[in-house]
Amino acid sequence: MAQNPLTVPRGERWAKGYRRFRAQGVLQAFAIAGFVYLLIFCYTPMLGLGIAFRNYQPKMGIAGFFTAEWVGLKHFKAFFGDYQFADIMTNTVVLSLLKLVFSFPIPIIFALALNEMQHPKIKRVVQTVSYLPHFISWVIVYGLLFTLFNTSSGMVNNLLADLGFEKVEILTGKEYYWTLAILSDIWKEMGWWSIIFLAAISGVDPSQYESAKVDGATRLQSIWHITLPNIRSTIMVMLILAIGSLLSGGMGGSNFDQSYLLGNSINYSKSVTLPYYVYQVGLSQLRYSYAAAAGLFQSVISLLLVLGSNYASKKLTGTGFF
Amino acid sequence: MHKAVQAPKNKIRRTGEDRAISVFIFVVMTFVFFVTAYPFWYSLVLSFSEGNDALRGGIYLWPRTFTLANYNAVFGISYIPTAFLVSVARTVLGTVVAVLFTGVFAYALSHSKLMFRNFYMTAMLITMYFSGGLIPFYALLRALGLMNTFWVYIVPNLFSSFNAVMMINFFREIPDSLEEAAHIDGANDLTIFFRIILPCSKPLLATMALYSGVWHWNAWTDTAFYVSDPSLRTLSYVLINLIKQTESAAQTLVGRVNVSTQSYNSMTLRPAAMIVCILPIVMVYPFLQKYFVKGIMLGSVKE
Repeated sequence: MAQNPLTVPRGERWAKGYRRFRAQGVLQAFAIAGFVYLLIFCYTPMLGLGIAFRNYQPKMGIAGFFTAEWVGLKHFKAFFGDYQFADIMTNTVVLSLLKLVFSFPIPIIFALALNEMQHPKIKRVVQTVSYLPHFISWVIVYGLLFTLFNTSSGMVNNLLADLGFEKVEILTGKEYYWTLAILSDIWKEMGWWSIIFLAAISGVDPSQYESAKVDGATRLQSIWHITLPNIRSTIMVMLILAIGSLLSGGMGGSNFDQSYLLGNSINYSKSVTLPYYVYQVGLSQLRYSYAAAAGLFQSVISLLLVLGSNYASKKLTGTGFF
Repeated sequence: MHKAVQAPKNKIRRTGEDRAISVFIFVVMTFVFFVTAYPFWYSLVLSFSEGNDALRGGIYLWPRTFTLANYNAVFGISYIPTAFLVSVARTVLGTVVAVLFTGVFAYALSHSKLMFRNFYMTAMLITMYFSGGLIPFYALLRALGLMNTFWVYIVPNLFSSFNAVMMINFFREIPDSLEEAAHIDGANDLTIFFRIILPCSKPLLATMALYSGVWHWNAWTDTAFYVSDPSLRTLSYVLINLIKQTESAAQTLVGRVNVSTQSYNSMTLRPAAMIVCILPIVMVYPFLQKYFVKGIMLGSVKE
């Protein structure tokens, strides 16, 4: 009955395939619509990365992606040689690593704490409040920070002044920028990421805790020897995600928003990050090809980080994405 | 004495460690609650306070005076009502078309028998890990003539790979027998999608609409990147200007306020504008909670 497809004449196979395709007409139209979107809005810009090696002007249109004058690595060399390069990379890499170090474990600890909370009502209220900041934009976060910390009418600074201390330039001082960026990042995303860990924790088989209790395990021992090993794969998956988006500022991708909103002329040398620099030289200074080169540099490093962390995770724990 | 106070059901001996953990957790919870909620509360309090009164300081938990002047003033700023409407329009329209467009793609890909399924799927997954970045995207939008138009908010955001993955996983769970029965009754795939699949997927659609809606409402970078026409600015974007302006003008305003007869100033106006921007999100927050938590699970728990 079932014919070996290799023995069926080619014309007949094509006809068969075409009939099957026609039968799926509506579904194929749905899929192709999405595919065309991807071609235009995702793959065309990827091809457009070629402008990093050319001298491109927007008036050249899409054709310019392929026809603009080829200059090779000129823009990359200029970027690596730029006097700001060290600042940009230090801020981007170190700030992002610090965000990872602090804002990755805290949601796990918060989820563990929520799980140990024995009053369901308090637990629900705290949890509900904790992820509200995830749903508001960085613009609002900036507004809240400004309302609390500005030096002329900010609540905290007024309080400091009333108590006889000196006002602190938290929002403008160079030395405070990183702290501000990391803490506001934690404030915004902690509750949200804890949901995933909390869900993983609630999936742990309760009989494990019961038998541990019978064996005389304390609460901390239960957390350490049962809860954490059980959510290890969730932690690893989230860690890969976080490392993959390291340069854009961790899972919240906050580097650009923070540089744009919290950055100013005073703290610039501490607040400029790679995504913001790309925007600045590209769309403000109109150095398109140069900015594209800096952007490509970021994309490639991000991709390597995803693949690298995925590979490491697979080797170490057997868990990975692909 | 101490034992008697404790609930009798709690038969297991509470050790010192247990109690220490409970206290620690209680402290953490209180801290998180206060640190998260207070900035919002303080802004709300300020937004209802009279400007001159707020400048005197000492307001922390409750407004000493009560006024709606700040909100009146916010909507009195020439560009705010326009920006509000632009934000509402992009949020409503952008959400509806994005959910539908991503939905039909996801529905097609939820069929394992779809020809070229792996090809479509791979094409989508690649875009989740690699993109052309800002500059080529800007060049593309320019070439498409979307620059400085309202459509720049809608068209580039028609499709989301992340949402598509969630939707594919959801549609897969719908029993095939439902579609087969409809096929036998002579319905085509289009009818099946709109008359059977969509009504079955209300929780999913709600989740996706909320994702997309909140994203659209909060979006401000596309205005910053692609729009220069003042009448097309979104609320989130003009809020930045409002805050930045008060930042630079705060000093002069503070100096001027003694002679001012107005009952608002930058200190109280800014929080009022922020509250206007937060309010829609707080209004859908109960739904966000109900569906988001499910949604994030939908995306993360596979197989």
